[in-house]
Amino acid sequence: MLDKDDCAEKTDEELVALTIENQDFFSCLIDRYSGKLTRYIMRISASTREDAEDLLQEVFVKAYRNINGFDQSLKFSSWIYRIAHNQVISQWRKLKSRPQVIKFEADEDFLKFIAADEDLALDTERKFEGEEVRELLEELDEKYREALVLKFIEGKDYKEISDILQKPLGTVATLINRAKKQMKKIIEEKGIEFQK
Amino acid sequence: MDNLGDKVLRKIKEECICPKPRWQFLLKDYFIWFLFLVSLILGSLAFCVALYVLSTNDWDLYQYLHTTLVGHILISIPYLWIIFLIIFVFIAYYNFKYTKSGYRHEAYFVVGLSVVGSLFLGAFLHTLGVGEKVEDFVAASVPVYEKIACCSARKDIWDQPANGLLGGTIMVVLDENNFELKDFSGKDWRVQEDDDTLEYEPLEIKEDEEVKIIGEKKQDFVFWAREIRPWKNKGEVRKAKVRINPDE
Repeated sequence: MLDKDDCAEKTDEELVALTIENQDFFSCLIDRYSGKLTRYIMRISASTREDAEDLLQEVFVKAYRNINGFDQSLKFSSWIYRIAHNQVISQWRKLKSRPQVIKFEADEDFLKFIAADEDLALDTERKFEGEEVRELLEELDEKYREALVLKFIEGKDYKEISDILQKPLGTVATLINRAKKQMKKIIEEKGIEFQK
Repeated sequence: MDNLGDKVLRKIKEECICPKPRWQFLLKDYFIWFLFLVSLILGSLAFCVALYVLSTNDWDLYQYLHTTLVGHILISIPYLWIIFLIIFVFIAYYNFKYTKSGYRHEAYFVVGLSVVGSLFLGAFLHTLGVGEKVEDFVAASVPVYEKIACCSARKDIWDQPANGLLGGTIMVVLDENNFELKDFSGKDWRVQEDDDTLEYEPLEIKEDEEVKIIGEKKQDFVFWAREIRPWKNKGEVRKAKVRINPDE
């Protein structure tokens, strides 16, 4: 049995190489990413924790099956997030429906990050309070929401978001800018009051 | 209670899930690049035939076809080959997007790359005479091609003696100024030349030579030739007439 300390000092990429030799090392990667990916899946798919974990199980099995195809020019995190993103999309296709509204009850972090975004605050000349942004997020288009989740919650840079969503850097920048504009429009339409 | 890592590993072991071998991923990558290159080459061939068709078209023909120069240009554009070029550019684009790093590039960059690649390669192939060979091959393999090919390459265009256009195959060279011609609908004509008749390189008046003639119908099955052009690859006006009569 693998000792968890065996993994602690190793990079993701080293663990990928070790997993190819010994599948037990894969559990280290799972431990590293299961929490983050569960939250990510819940954020973009409106799943319950149980559904997200079921989906995540499929994500890891798929990752293991394709581990030899891991592109060394990517970060492992981008690669595994990409698989999760694709799995969510494919789940939507299977169910032939996408959630129209996503609830963010458990996502205080997300609201905090968005509220702290200087560009958006500057655009609207206001400081956002986390609670006040909640209803805005629920109305954002899904394609914008995912870009915002990756940028503000997962802390990914544009290059990583590009690798995860498999879109050019320019498109990622556009998505994030449009997301901000859409939020601003919703603010204006709703006449939402924000604390200065 | 099992954590997720244990569940996943148990599933992997129970279902004997193995990583796909590396060669499968490499093969897929190479195959996509191969399709990209094939599309690029086919696009280049389409462009190179389009160039050939444009460069060998009889642009001065409009006056005999009761149309304007603009009208003639519009019907002389090799739409078929341009459509092929566009199709292959988009297939190349589609394949490029599916290469490992294809998503990193904007659509306009990839389409631009495919277009520029096809145009450069096509122009290069044109200088090697590939366009003519491809067109000949397609004309021989696809009978309908001659009906949809460009204006001056269409045989029906040269089957209008009343409008001064006659095309066909030289059957017999009678003398310096007369030969017999079988037109594309199988009728025999006597073609007359005089000192004013222009002949174009690399034409040789000899049996089995396909020619295009611009002139005037004098009477039934007698046609006076003002200009005689080779069926393909019209060059400069020939200064001295060439006659090859096997009977002499």
